[in-house]
Amino acid sequence: MNSLCFDLHAASVLAPGVASLSDLREACRRGKPFETTAPLVLPSPAALPANERRRASQVVRLTLACIEQVLQASPFPVDSLRSVFATDEGTGEICQQMLEVLATTRQVSPLLFPNSVLNAPSGYFSIAWHNRQSATLASLGLESFASGLLCAVTEAATTRQPVLLVSYDPAMTEPMDELLPVTQHTATAWILSAGRAIQDVPVLGSFALELEAQDSALPSSLPSWLPPPWVEHSSARALAALGLLEASPGAVFRLALGGQLLSIRRLDGVET
Amino acid sequence: MLGISATTVVHSAGHGTAALWDAVAQNRTGLRRNDLAWCDLACWVGPVPAVDETTLPVGLRRWDCRSHRLAWLALEDATFRRAASTAIERHGAHRIGLVLGTSTSGIRSTEIAYAKRRETGQWPPDFDYRRSHAVEAVCRFSAEVLGVKGPMVTISTACSSSAKAFMTAQRWMDAGLIDAAIVGGVDSLCLSTLHGFDSLQLLSGDICRPFDAERNGISIGEAAGFVLLDRAPAVVSFVGGGESSDAWHMSAPHPEGQGAQDAMRAALAAAKLTASDIGYVNAHGTGTPANDRAEAAALRAVYGEHGVPVSSTKGVTGHTLGAAGIVEAIVTVQALEQQALPPSANLRTHEPTLALDLVVRPRTIRLRHAMSNNFGFGGSNCTLIFSRPD
Repeated sequence: MNSLCFDLHAASVLAPGVASLSDLREACRRGKPFETTAPLVLPSPAALPANERRRASQVVRLTLACIEQVLQASPFPVDSLRSVFATDEGTGEICQQMLEVLATTRQVSPLLFPNSVLNAPSGYFSIAWHNRQSATLASLGLESFASGLLCAVTEAATTRQPVLLVSYDPAMTEPMDELLPVTQHTATAWILSAGRAIQDVPVLGSFALELEAQDSALPSSLPSWLPPPWVEHSSARALAALGLLEASPGAVFRLALGGQLLSIRRLDGVET
Repeated sequence: MLGISATTVVHSAGHGTAALWDAVAQNRTGLRRNDLAWCDLACWVGPVPAVDETTLPVGLRRWDCRSHRLAWLALEDATFRRAASTAIERHGAHRIGLVLGTSTSGIRSTEIAYAKRRETGQWPPDFDYRRSHAVEAVCRFSAEVLGVKGPMVTISTACSSSAKAFMTAQRWMDAGLIDAAIVGGVDSLCLSTLHGFDSLQLLSGDICRPFDAERNGISIGEAAGFVLLDRAPAVVSFVGGGESSDAWHMSAPHPEGQGAQDAMRAALAAAKLTASDIGYVNAHGTGTPANDRAEAAALRAVYGEHGVPVSSTKGVTGHTLGAAGIVEAIVTVQALEQQALPPSANLRTHEPTLALDLVVRPRTIRLRHAMSNNFGFGGSNCTLIFSRPD
């Protein structure tokens, strides 16, 4: 295939020990894992109307806080952004709460059920910022970021519109964490465009995406500066890929995607 | 323009595309009063025949769960499998994409396993979260059955999931990543959605009656469906779609169907058609008072005084949630192939204020372009347009 090129215009990071893209880049430069013991306090989503705010689950708080951060650096109006949300399980505590109710009283709360759909964060994003563009939820286990990135870049390339990509994993609660050992919230949001249709806007970095045969190389390992337990987080691959911003042109990060590899290659050293 | 090379579907009215068309064209419902052994809600349900007795082949048994049994029943279709194999031979397995939609994946397995975990303190030894409940599982399972090795993704945007699968597949083809795609969707009956919709008072105690004056909610069905999209010419093609968000409410539609209007208009623009070109709309038509009122308002806004023949076939299949997009896409493709319109099922009393040209009995028609609407929680909207060239 021909490479799909895209520009990354802004990125945010929200996880224990890293509260911004600059925190993450600093950790990458140091090459040492950061401290993740302090719990991540998720703010009430101020962008939501009050009646919706009280319904906001932890994953909605996580994703909206991450989006709020990236929008501060976005060169595009929020109502112009299409969106792709990429996650593995995607509902966190809500999943366990639903299962507990169904195993006992079966009296599901009318507030709980709408939050149990995987696309709850994208729905709340659209409500919070009055965004009526397409919103898609992409999932493929630990390859969720890879599939979401491919969806986001092809969407940007074919529609010539900027795309918000949010990659995240809410912490699972007991006993679901025995099945899916994700015990901390991690999230990153990217604003990207493709096809060189959008000129004269700040660019953090330019990249080429390429699908490769699985036997041509191995997926990249998570870098040593990311906490090792996050290997179970699909979004840790997105955090690792942001490390390319600290790499030289030509550097590649490879992600497994179905029966193939998705490579992300740094194209230049543009810095803002 | 992407040709519809092959279709397969299992649904409450039977197995196969022909059985689906026969049921919707004759207004023969697959819904029945709830007799599920594991759910005592007073409602109607649409279980797929023989799903409980289905066993997966030995080599696939580690994937066993209700939703994969549905997928397997659909993927057993010999004509579809031959078409998929031909596409693999022609393009190579790595050039066939797989884009599937689901809202709850194999959560029924986790509901059962979680109850046992509460009793015993241990997860059942044969419970495999990754191969049943995980949202990715339906893609991994289907890829293994079909032997496709291209890029894959599961789309989960509630009831628009498998309609949006067409959009993602089209973008991957337009970007040159793949030469053909298998799109589809699977959702099984489960406690989560039955009790969830009941909690919102959206589950009808009666059989669902979309667009009827006395409609009072949905009937939930289950289904699995797959479509092979190829650039090769076919009798019917997917010619474009539109997506939007309501930006209004998590579980209630915008009263004027603003997002639905956006999706329909975007689909018309993508297909390079005008509203007057469309000869039939398979509506989302769930049967809740608010949903049908909002969709009717959106249809009136897009189609104007001229109107368009509209029906909802959910009275036959039930609302199959994440699979609704693929089931109703296949109904719409069949309408174009058969040059006939399916009636709006279970309709008894018109509600004049909806002001729709509802198809009330089977009708033959000269049909070139038809639209399928699907809208979901989170305000997620998707409209697909299919065409049959002269």
